[in-house]
Amino acid sequence: MPSADELKDYIQKKFSEHLGLSQEEIFGADLTLAALITRSERMANSVDLMEAFARTSNALRREHGLRVRLPALALDTRISKVLEVFLQEVQRQREERAA
Amino acid sequence: MSAVPQRREVLRVPPTRKAEIVADLYRAIREEGRTLVELEWEQQRLHESRRWSAVERVDAVELEGVSASDRLVVWNAGRAELTTKPGADRLARLADQECRRWQGRNDAVASIIQACGTWSRYWNEEEAHHETSFNRLALLLGLERISDETFIEFRKIFPDDDMLRTLTLLSISEIVAAVNYAHCARITQEPGLKALFKQVGADEIQHMNYFIAFAKGLVDSGEYRAKEAFAVAHLFLREGGEVQGSRREHVEQRETHVNWWDQLEYREGMNAPDAAEKKETLIFHALKRITGITVSSAEELEDTWMELVG
Repeated sequence: MPSADELKDYIQKKFSEHLGLSQEEIFGADLTLAALITRSERMANSVDLMEAFARTSNALRREHGLRVRLPALALDTRISKVLEVFLQEVQRQREERAA
Repeated sequence: MSAVPQRREVLRVPPTRKAEIVADLYRAIREEGRTLVELEWEQQRLHESRRWSAVERVDAVELEGVSASDRLVVWNAGRAELTTKPGADRLARLADQECRRWQGRNDAVASIIQACGTWSRYWNEEEAHHETSFNRLALLLGLERISDETFIEFRKIFPDDDMLRTLTLLSISEIVAAVNYAHCARITQEPGLKALFKQVGADEIQHMNYFIAFAKGLVDSGEYRAKEAFAVAHLFLREGGEVQGSRREHVEQRETHVNWWDQLEYREGMNAPDAAEKKETLIFHALKRITGITVSSAEELEDTWMELVG
């Protein structure tokens, strides 16, 4: 099982891949979801964004057997908060497995 | 004027059957060879068969018999219905643009989308009855006036999106509206208002059926992916999703457009429509008709959508 830091890197890499923006651009300025939609040429609206997060979640499930379900997030939510939701859920599932 | 080519024989018209929505559009166009002129005639026949008078319906309402709760519902309905005109105007434009994109690449798809754009004129006209009836009633009842500023704000045009997503969203919007109006029709004790709610609800169901037929046609063509329909349904039914409208913990403040379900004002004493389960069931049913895929819970819907996303 990869370490928590490795999983964080993995999730960040997947966000970047599916949003079509560099990690520096996304996480450096800790962009809001609204700003991500505006910046990314692949995103037209919140449905596109929802799909990018779903692809990240699918990759986590395929490669690490972890399943993250995202709640509805306001467009002024910062990407660090989304990352936090992913990591909390990943951590919870890791603990469940270890128990 | 050039001479019009003449047929040797006149068309033999079969006995008039009831007007109906062509539910299997892709097959009707590809296999039965039905043309846009024929499809348009069906739309016209159905539209004419369902006409009603807003003036007569409003006149039939006994104003003194309208309860305080009903008054709030009428006021909300009038405001909400203001957003349908920009929806229909946008659909007409988007459909024509999308139709031309498919011409020569997949002519059946171009025809389905043109049939949708053509029908949008009936949708727009029918929705005008809803908007004007409720807003006129609100005025006669002396309710809070809708300012021109609000009127213009609610006319903002929704940004463009994928055609299948758009049609699915419109199907779901009609479902939510139809369930709300059915609830209002059950609750009100004023016969004229009850008849109006029933009439408007029946119109919304008919609109839903049209949107589903156009969306199904796109999926049947193989050119549009079912995941887009599922994405929109998930957007509505996920935790904190759109189906909860203005009751959600957080409602987005958008500059671009107004979603009517976000603007309903639930005030004290209002017997507000909800019926979340009924809406959910109808959304699952719509998804089944559009994509052929069955789901029966919000979780299953999310799982299926994520599988389709890949």
